[in-house]
Amino acid sequence: MSHKSREIPTRRQHLFAVAMRFRRRFSLTFALALILSLVLISRPPPRRIQLGEPQVVETTKPQVCVHTLLENEVDEWKIQRSLQLTREMGAATIVQFFPWAYFEPNPGQFNWEQTDLIVRHARNQGLRIIARLGLVPQWARPDGQTTLNHLPEAAFDDFAIAAARLAEQYADSIQHFIVWNEPNLSFEWGYRPVDPAAYVRLLRATYQSIKSANPQATVLAGALAPTNERRGSAAGLSDLEYLRDMYRFGASAYFDALAVHSYGLVYPPESEPAPHQLNFRRLELLRQIMIENDDEHKAVYVTETGWNDHPRWSYAVRPSRRLAYTVRAFEYAEANWPWLNQLCIWALRYPAATLSYPDNFTLISPEFELKPIYFAIQNYARDWDESATRWLPPPQAN
Amino acid sequence: MAAATTGKLMKPARLLIASVCLCGLAALLAVLASRVEPPPDKRAAFPRGEIAVGVDASFPPFAVDDGQSLTGLDIELAKAIAERIDLPLRFINISYYGLYDALISGEADLLISALRIDPSRMDDLRYTRHYFDNGLLVVSSVDAPKLNAESLAGHRVAFEIGSQAETELRKLEAESFELKLERFPYELPRYALDALRLGIADAAVVDATTLRSYQREYPSWRIERFHLTHDYFAIALSSSRRDAWRLVDDALATLIASGQLATIIDNWILSESALGSLL
Repeated sequence: MSHKSREIPTRRQHLFAVAMRFRRRFSLTFALALILSLVLISRPPPRRIQLGEPQVVETTKPQVCVHTLLENEVDEWKIQRSLQLTREMGAATIVQFFPWAYFEPNPGQFNWEQTDLIVRHARNQGLRIIARLGLVPQWARPDGQTTLNHLPEAAFDDFAIAAARLAEQYADSIQHFIVWNEPNLSFEWGYRPVDPAAYVRLLRATYQSIKSANPQATVLAGALAPTNERRGSAAGLSDLEYLRDMYRFGASAYFDALAVHSYGLVYPPESEPAPHQLNFRRLELLRQIMIENDDEHKAVYVTETGWNDHPRWSYAVRPSRRLAYTVRAFEYAEANWPWLNQLCIWALRYPAATLSYPDNFTLISPEFELKPIYFAIQNYARDWDESATRWLPPPQAN
Repeated sequence: MAAATTGKLMKPARLLIASVCLCGLAALLAVLASRVEPPPDKRAAFPRGEIAVGVDASFPPFAVDDGQSLTGLDIELAKAIAERIDLPLRFINISYYGLYDALISGEADLLISALRIDPSRMDDLRYTRHYFDNGLLVVSSVDAPKLNAESLAGHRVAFEIGSQAETELRKLEAESFELKLERFPYELPRYALDALRLGIADAAVVDATTLRSYQREYPSWRIERFHLTHDYFAIALSSSRRDAWRLVDDALATLIASGQLATIIDNWILSESALGSLL
């Protein structure tokens, strides 16, 4: 066993050793700091959103409205940009979906985060909100294979209470509420046979609940889908039949205005209405049913309308027709329907492209590219140049 | 002197290193070559012993059902691919919105239906190389000075109102303050081409299918054109059908290389090469 004698370091050696240790540590710290800096630099900083000065919508056509789809929008700046563009287009009102499943994910536990964002920015842009209610949270649905549109009768009161909480929470910002969406379609009724009597019970509970929270609120019934489905069909029931049933089951006492979806499909907006014809003026038939039931004093809100210009959808029209029909629809409504409160275009923008025909209903692409239809509506709403919807006659050889 | 000596000494060493590298590269290539997969077995790739092609036969000139049979560019392309693979072909005519479901459920082996490459579907699907580009083209007369996106300023540009062509032109104007166009909006894209042909406009912006179809009507009309956008059509297969994809993509590559695809396109619209010969 050998022993190596331990030498006492000189002061110089000691200082050198300390310096080396410091250098090693410093190098390590420096390297870590460098890596951290690079990581931070490579990540885009979160975009700061400022509300800015409160805005006012400049429009000459207060009935121009658009359906926004901001409930699934993650980035706040996109919510703000969407609503800015809505205001700049000259639409003073938006229809916005507030899914019950989002704002009451657990019984009695409310989460207003997304709703706050949307309401704050809409108010800042000077926009009026029509809140569309629907989408059932897991806890309110029966176990098993039920869709988010399946609202069991046992949960009607829960839905009504949630609607009242929303009305109360935003009493200074939201005055209009649509109870459910397209209840005359089986798909929208949780893939069950449609049930106008049950819908009227839901309407009654929700109407009373909202009114108790905000007596000034306007409750809209229906948002009926245009369809010719016959009684007993698995897909749904004609909107005309459904509305008659609603009155038969006493709906009149439980809504202030009727919400209707009125798509033009391949027909011009002036096309005559008929019971088996799905076109823009179909709502005149619904209006007639309201009159027959002494509800002519109530307004109608078209909460979805528009034409589609997808090249491969059988219910689409050419882009030129989409432009012209949309503006003519606004003009027709303005001239002929004094009972119409709002005409809301479906839809402003989708958060992501569907890469299918629904994309051709929008006014703005997911990347915020403004489509010609946006400018056409803007020109109409703000009473600007009309040339955006005018085309030249077919060229002729001299 | 020392440097020169070193240089002389280094030369054989460099040669040696280069030889070793080349040998290594050759060995690597040999290994890679030995690993190249053999062509897939067509019976295993298409176990039904046929190729079931999903198509939406309501989109002329790509596929149309005339009541008796299916015709169109996509139909001819499907036949040519089946011939290359040497398997019988069966068409499944379904609506556009059922196409992808038919593929995912396995009812169809592949889709040939003027389908745009959809990046969001790449988890489930695999596309072949593209067989058609339906992007927007800026078309001008061959007798006029050649135009590009920048030199459009001040020119009379014809387009279909409300279309993607108008959107792209608005974008061009927004991107450059100096680019102001004299707009000639028409109800239909073919009117935009009429305006150009008749000298009413200096340029027209239309999609490739419209231009090529129009050129068939006016084969002596000579034009210049450049792509403003691209919009590729490809064949879609399930991502789990790798061997089938290889066979179809190889067949398509052969059709492109042999000129057969161009001939098929010429039969229905007008191929890029045929269009080029008119310039």
